[in-house]
Amino acid sequence: MAKYLLKRLAQILVTLFVFLTLVFFIVNAQPGDVSNFYALNPDVPPETRERLQDLFGVNEPLWKQYLVHIKNTFTGNFGISFSHYPRSVADVIMERLPRTVVLFMTATALSFYLGFALGKILAWRRGGWFEYTSTVGGVTLYTVFTPWFGLMMIWLFAFKAGWLPIGKFLDPVLWRDASIDANSVFNQMILTAFVVSVVVFAVFVITGQRRMGNARIIRIASIALASLAVAGVWISSGTVVFAWDILRHMVLPVVTLTLISFAGTMLLTRNSMLETMREDFVMAARAKGLPERAVRDKHVARNALLPVVTSFIFSLAFAVDGGVITESIFSWPGMGQTLVSATLTEDLPLAVGAFVFVGIFVLVAHLVADVLYAYLDPRIRY
Amino acid sequence: MTTDPVLVVEDLKMHYVTRAGTVRAVDGVSFAVARGQSLGLVGESGCGKSSIAMTLLKLLPDNARLVSGSIILNGVDLTTLSEDQMRAHRWDRISMVFQAAMNSLDPVYRVGDQIIEALEAHSASAGRDAMERVRELFDLVSLDPTYIRRYPHEYSGGMRQRAIIAMALACEPDIIIADEPTTALDVIVQDHILREMQAIQRSLNMSMIYISHDMAVIAEVCDVVGVMYAGKLVEFGPTTEVYARPIHPYTKALMSAFPSVRGEKHDLTTLPGEPPDLLDLPAGCAFHPRCAYATDECRTSIPPTVQRGDHWATCWNPVDDLGGE
Repeated sequence: MAKYLLKRLAQILVTLFVFLTLVFFIVNAQPGDVSNFYALNPDVPPETRERLQDLFGVNEPLWKQYLVHIKNTFTGNFGISFSHYPRSVADVIMERLPRTVVLFMTATALSFYLGFALGKILAWRRGGWFEYTSTVGGVTLYTVFTPWFGLMMIWLFAFKAGWLPIGKFLDPVLWRDASIDANSVFNQMILTAFVVSVVVFAVFVITGQRRMGNARIIRIASIALASLAVAGVWISSGTVVFAWDILRHMVLPVVTLTLISFAGTMLLTRNSMLETMREDFVMAARAKGLPERAVRDKHVARNALLPVVTSFIFSLAFAVDGGVITESIFSWPGMGQTLVSATLTEDLPLAVGAFVFVGIFVLVAHLVADVLYAYLDPRIRY
Repeated sequence: MTTDPVLVVEDLKMHYVTRAGTVRAVDGVSFAVARGQSLGLVGESGCGKSSIAMTLLKLLPDNARLVSGSIILNGVDLTTLSEDQMRAHRWDRISMVFQAAMNSLDPVYRVGDQIIEALEAHSASAGRDAMERVRELFDLVSLDPTYIRRYPHEYSGGMRQRAIIAMALACEPDIIIADEPTTALDVIVQDHILREMQAIQRSLNMSMIYISHDMAVIAEVCDVVGVMYAGKLVEFGPTTEVYARPIHPYTKALMSAFPSVRGEKHDLTTLPGEPPDLLDLPAGCAFHPRCAYATDECRTSIPPTVQRGDHWATCWNPVDDLGGE
């Protein structure tokens, strides 16, 4: 396993290098550079424009820029953003990336959970109204024009019903006098979610390995306890209003993204289940006198999980670049919006930096997928 | 031997309803298996052998219909049980060694855990007791106990078959159905496993139903044998009787298609034609289109039962009467 991981890491470095090269040349292939903005402005004298070009290094030959770019990226220096001057690219991305990752990861996880649960039932009970409604409903949502659906959701739940905020990441009126900034609250929220999921996962793994009769009770108790602890810590810290505000802003985009994408997982799970159901070990499980539920969940669904996990990992990769469309509709200040504005303002360092982060995330996600496979399917050993 | 029957099957009919029509996969089969006895069911592919196995366990696809008959296991008629009651009987009272042992183990769980799963479904024995039982079972089928915690893909074909047998024995059932238990194995491993199964069956005084197309396998391990053709039993009797003096031309044809090690040398003959289409059975005796002895009676009316002691067959022209013709 260690040898395999090393080999894969080396492969990742090579892939990353190729990726960096491609990104650099593709981004530079678009006409003009950052100084074009100032060129059209009559208040900017030509000398200033030249000085800017020198400062940003855009007058250097391309191969020189490329070498600098590669060297800087591998030494962790992504440069300074043109449009957010004087903030560094890394700084801008570090602010935007968590927002996108949290939003899209939550939506992806929810949509896979929903899709997997529905797909299981669909495969088990073929025919009938349930299969009909969920397939038609799911596929309709899957194929619907995303901007229209997003706007409809906003119109219905935010504008007409007024239950949820219309867009953006937070409510500026509430935060005006806040003594704490949004990013640190958000980072605390991520940390909390991470700690809780690690604890719950550990409890599930431990109770699953020892054959404990009361595993279910322990699991429920641990989840309840974790929720209580989280609620206690947040309420006592006094920042709970702000966290709640961010959460409220997340609901609508998360629900929208989940609704438009769960059908893919649902149909994938259904097909994978139907294929697995033909296997002999499923008949053997039935012959052993196991309850239908155990046959479905322990044997069929467990074996049908692999292709679904593959698709999940690939979807996670897309969670980083963020749906440009979704982020625009919900005015969510994440990576999608950053990429668009960086490209439009010829902010090359930021655009390239954003792409590089997406690329690294995708490569790491694939590595995680490979490791996860070995865990899920004992036949796979590296 | 015929006293104390463990399993009595009476006029069992199981049909598949398909778009093309009704497939009479099991069409009026009756037999009994005594405690400690082993019954063999032989016949070509597609004559309803495996369908009988699935019917006995009531593990039937949605389009299967149990048309008539009773399956009395230890005095309980399985055909009248609800799905929940039937689930309690499966494996606990009647278990199975599957045709495709290679694929009958779930690839993502350790073999020991899969046996424990069966134990836990039927008794309170969990945890350490169940583990102890798995050790006993591995010992019984001569498997290395270190393999309890291994995955199916780490087993060889013969080991997997042993594991499947251990699993079938787990709840000490009254009867085990072995559907082509050794077909996928090489001859030497096949022989080992058959002998072991026989030894275990005798020591535990269990009943068995072997299902096979291989006359040699049945001859080696079965006390009584039933020959199936087109969903029906066409000949039934003690194995030695049936092999020495077959009554039905089909049995005779099947036997002359297999070489015998101990008997006289003879040229192997193949049986021309294929088993009939179960959707559209020939009138009279279903075997008549392929039968060398067929007469007009065979083509029009259902053949009578020819009884020779506890050995019988359904035929108009029993071959044991016709002698060497």
